Amino acid sequence: MTDATTNAAPSRSLWQDAWRRLRANRAAVTSLIVLIVLGLAGIFGPMISPHPYGQIYQQYVRVPPSLEAYPRAEEIEPAIESLIRRARVEAVGAEVEGQTATVAVRSDQPIDTRITRYFERSDQFTNPQLELADDGMTGTLTVTVDRNYFLLGTDNLGRDMLSRILIGVRISLAIGLLASAMALVLGVAYGAISGYLGGRVDNVMMRIVDILYSLPFIFFVILLLVFFGRSLFIIFIAIGATEWLDMARIVRGQTLSLKRREFVQAAEAMGATRSGILRRHIIPNALGPVIVFVTLLVPKAILAESLLSFLGLGVQDPMTSLGLLISEGAQNMRGAPWLLFGPAATLTVILFALNFLGDGLRDSLDPKER
Amino acid sequence: MTETILSVRDLRVTFETPDGPVSAVRGVNLDLKSGETLAIVGESGSGKSQTTMAMMGLLAANGRADGSVTYRGREILNIGERALNGIRGKKITMIFQEPMTSLDPLYRIGRQLAEPLRYHAGLSARAARPRILELLRLVGIPDPERRINSYPHELSGGQRQRVMIAMALANDPDILIADEPTTALDVTIQAQILELLADLQKRLGMAIVFITHDLGIVRRFADHVAVMRYGEVVEDGAAEALFAAPKHPYTQMLLDAEPEGRKEPPAEDAPALLTGDDVRVTFHLGGGLLAKPTPLHAVKGISVSLHEGQTIGVVGESGSGKSTLGRALLRLTESTGRVAWLGKELPEGIDAMRPYRRELQLVFQDPFGSLSPRMTVGQIITEGLLIHEPTLSRKDRARRADEALAEVGLDPSMRNRYPHEFSGGQRQRIAIARTMILRPRVIVLDEPTSALDRSVQKQIVTLLRDLQAKHSLSYVFISHDLSVVRALSDHIIVMKAGEIVEQGPTDAVFDAPRQDYTRALMAAALSTTRFRTAS
Repeated sequence: MTDATTNAAPSRSLWQDAWRRLRANRAAVTSLIVLIVLGLAGIFGPMISPHPYGQIYQQYVRVPPSLEAYPRAEEIEPAIESLIRRARVEAVGAEVEGQTATVAVRSDQPIDTRITRYFERSDQFTNPQLELADDGMTGTLTVTVDRNYFLLGTDNLGRDMLSRILIGVRISLAIGLLASAMALVLGVAYGAISGYLGGRVDNVMMRIVDILYSLPFIFFVILLLVFFGRSLFIIFIAIGATEWLDMARIVRGQTLSLKRREFVQAAEAMGATRSGILRRHIIPNALGPVIVFVTLLVPKAILAESLLSFLGLGVQDPMTSLGLLISEGAQNMRGAPWLLFGPAATLTVILFALNFLGDGLRDSLDPKER
Repeated sequence: MTETILSVRDLRVTFETPDGPVSAVRGVNLDLKSGETLAIVGESGSGKSQTTMAMMGLLAANGRADGSVTYRGREILNIGERALNGIRGKKITMIFQEPMTSLDPLYRIGRQLAEPLRYHAGLSARAARPRILELLRLVGIPDPERRINSYPHELSGGQRQRVMIAMALANDPDILIADEPTTALDVTIQAQILELLADLQKRLGMAIVFITHDLGIVRRFADHVAVMRYGEVVEDGAAEALFAAPKHPYTQMLLDAEPEGRKEPPAEDAPALLTGDDVRVTFHLGGGLLAKPTPLHAVKGISVSLHEGQTIGVVGESGSGKSTLGRALLRLTESTGRVAWLGKELPEGIDAMRPYRRELQLVFQDPFGSLSPRMTVGQIITEGLLIHEPTLSRKDRARRADEALAEVGLDPSMRNRYPHEFSGGQRQRIAIARTMILRPRVIVLDEPTSALDRSVQKQIVTLLRDLQAKHSLSYVFISHDLSVVRALSDHIIVMKAGEIVEQGPTDAVFDAPRQDYTRALMAAALSTTRFRTAS
């Protein structure tokens, strides 16, 4: 060898090159980051959010999104007064000072210290303390105003939308990605094997696919749920098990045309094993349409899940998913548009990111794109 | 008195690509006189097709043409689709290389032929019929009354090209542009089509622009020749003068590019490596649940014996079963009869054959199709090592790949590139490197040079000969190109319809062919007589 440096150059593979090209694609990288951030938000968001996704704030039903804390300053006094009235005592004067409110109370009868319960039960105040005078007829009630932020508003039951969207992202992304991954692995393997082996094997394998195709999706899901009981895992399986059929057909079609290509014949002439040909030649060359199809499959799975949930077969309250949130939001579109807007925007962002990422991946896996 | 009917001045074609503009044609000047044949010759990528595409307004969407093209004094470049359609398809017509794909498979040929008549001459379908029959008769389609109702797939390649010519002639054009019209056809058919074109030209008095890479055809067909390279006309002149005394070095190089030299014969006592005895291959076509498949006998009992260091040339037209024979000898297709390696019968089945695959290799015709587009050159070359020497480390494989690339004359640093970055000749070298890395003893070469330019062909032939001498390889060389076969083979087998028509030592077969078929093949491929004088 005249050129010693060429020997040192390590061999690269398609995936290394694809990764290099993907990193140069700004839209794809941005999408990837967005998806990762959303994924992390879905996983850790509900843990650190101040509002558990199931918690109901009765005082804050359908409040609109706001950067201000609830209760608002002007609402504090009326709220205190109404609570005081319900406690059947008389308020002499109320003072709000920052986080604490002090109310002087008076009654004709001795005041029952249990009136603090009214404040304890309220979502607006915490830590009520009643200091009674010696006669038991007057006293000072000190409460801490519980300031809550509902950045994206609350739903019909008074649950924080942000927390619900975060948990929805977690469920929907998990279902979308896992079901698609299952469809991808199963469909690509099945389709490639069926197409490559051809003949009678292909015939039998594809007829099985046809039979599964003819099973109604809902019926299939109900069957699975009846047998195995309702769980998130079964929903993954149910969606994945129906979506792989399309994938198998697409990959089979690709394989049929690829296996007549000369580079496959060349590998056969070299003595390559069938699995080697599938792995090295057929599957990498079929990836373009497969990746595009996967990016379509993820939203399909997300929507399939929301259909199941709507029918009562999927996730159930207080657990939720983006699809469910959107369908609830759609029902309240007029009165409380934020119920629709938040989850819909999130789903849109996810789908955009998936599409850009899918396009970027397809391009980067094609060595002709530079 | 001949007038200049088409004149091209400073034609430039530029394509906008993501990597910046690419000029395909850079200032071409051409003149075509009425009734004359102008040949535009060049290798692939020389811009010869793009020149005519620009004239006809058929450039791809990202292409732009500048300059001037005048037809009978009228500017026709970039004049818009509507104005152009008054001329193209009527006064200037075109036939393409691929007769298989130029006709719409869903329409009967009569209907496709009626299209230009209805559009340009305004004839009704009924009124067009006699003209169509006349055209079919003119281009020599037998039994036109029946053929008018055929679908394209019912015609042979030559007949389809005749239909394309008939379509181009429908409106009595002044100029016929023929873009490699015979490249996809067998040599004997090619000769017939060229004969037809020459005859039609004489009878109808039209001018022909003939685009080709094959100087042999040009010599027999053209009055005037323009040689193109890198988008420029490097030499331009009357055919006779140009062939007699080429001035530009590139023209000289093209004329010299005919493969030459002979192979050293193998030793007398060289052992037989691969022998086939009464090899038969039958395909079963069609057939369904109830229908019985029709058997097609592709190879009908052929016996060959390949000795060490020998090259057997297998020639024949398409469909003669020569590729199938090559595959049967490698046990890549099911066959009956005996195929033996070093006297021992080769087993059947993928797994049983694997140990032998290493020594029995195959190189394909199409260097574009035979390399996986998603593998780097290094991966392609070393795939055989993964199979046959799985214990090699990554580093050793890379080293072997470098050696193999150097052996076929490529820079080893190209190992991490992808096939599409290489030219046709380089890709064929990669394909050869892929087989050489396994150090085989027999290579079946299935038309390895057919898809390549002449000058590249010559290099590949030289490479193959050098490799053979260095490693005492044995080749089965399958080709329809007689000049290449002659330069490489010791022994020739002429095949027709699955049978051996004639065989013998190369020189004997070439110098004194015994069979009519062989003689016809030789005449079509190697003759230098002009077509026009022949008719």
